[in-house]
Amino acid sequence: MGLTVIYAVSGIAVNHMHHWNPNYKFQRVEERLQPIPQGDRATMVALAVERLDLPGMPVESFRPNPETLQLFYDGWSVDVDVVAGVALVERPKDRVILRDSNFLHLNHPKGSWTYVADVYAFLLLFLAVSGMFVLKGRTGLTGRGKWFILAGLAVPVIYLIFLRYI
Amino acid sequence: MRNRKIIILTCAALLVALIGSPALALAGKSYGKALTGSDTVEIGELLANPDRYMGKTVRVEGVITGVCEKRGCWMSLGSKGEDFQEIRIKVDDGVIVFPVEAKGKTAVAEGVLAKVEMTMEQTVAYKKHHAEEHGEEFDPASVTEPLVYYQIKGTGAVIR
Repeated sequence: MGLTVIYAVSGIAVNHMHHWNPNYKFQRVEERLQPIPQGDRATMVALAVERLDLPGMPVESFRPNPETLQLFYDGWSVDVDVVAGVALVERPKDRVILRDSNFLHLNHPKGSWTYVADVYAFLLLFLAVSGMFVLKGRTGLTGRGKWFILAGLAVPVIYLIFLRYI
Repeated sequence: MRNRKIIILTCAALLVALIGSPALALAGKSYGKALTGSDTVEIGELLANPDRYMGKTVRVEGVITGVCEKRGCWMSLGSKGEDFQEIRIKVDDGVIVFPVEAKGKTAVAEGVLAKVEMTMEQTVAYKKHHAEEHGEEFDPASVTEPLVYYQIKGTGAVIR
């Protein structure tokens, strides 16, 4: 039951990866500061820290281009447009349950988890195949059941035909 | 009662095996294949003389300045010693997943240097996607020439 919920919820989450981030949410706050003159990085960092009233010097810093100064703190960062005087403070936050569900669903741990996922997939297969033979008579495989099976097969087959040939 | 004990013991053994497995133990530090031990090339040197390294396996070290927010399918490394020297480590989706919270940490990465030449349409789509991802406004007219850049097709990395 637990695995089915993890796989189903994560399945929906990663299906919509293009619309939203299924692993993190980002808190972004824009702040204004007096533009910083371009010079050596250490001086620019010190000025940015002072003007943005940041909690001490960053762990790391970088200038990807002349106009931008990046400051990295533990778990969050600040991108400063030194010419325009605009800073973007970014704090990523885990979507705790979803992130772990996606981690397992997409088999990112690999190793032993591969075998757990294989066993689960095998059990699902067994459930689907054995389920066809549970009911007998009019509602079973030879009666109404065959139409349900065909309907289940038709959905992906028709979709693929439309996708490839129409 | 006896069956219940067996089930509990089996589950406990499985859990211990999972937690103790090397794949999980390394998670959060090593990504992808183990590093081969080749010499580290400065990012600035790589970008200044790409033809010298094109198609070859290279190792770079730098500060993680950006990570793919949705899939963790790339990270950019900035040179520790030089400003404006930055290169992207691109990995296959899902094969290696770099964590977003790694920004600002130091990474050593290995992979093959490649040149990416985009068409105008690809450049517009790429910049539009980048702007959306960062909540910025995007004007397609601002793209005047196709994007050409170098990146490393990453095979493995260590983040510390």
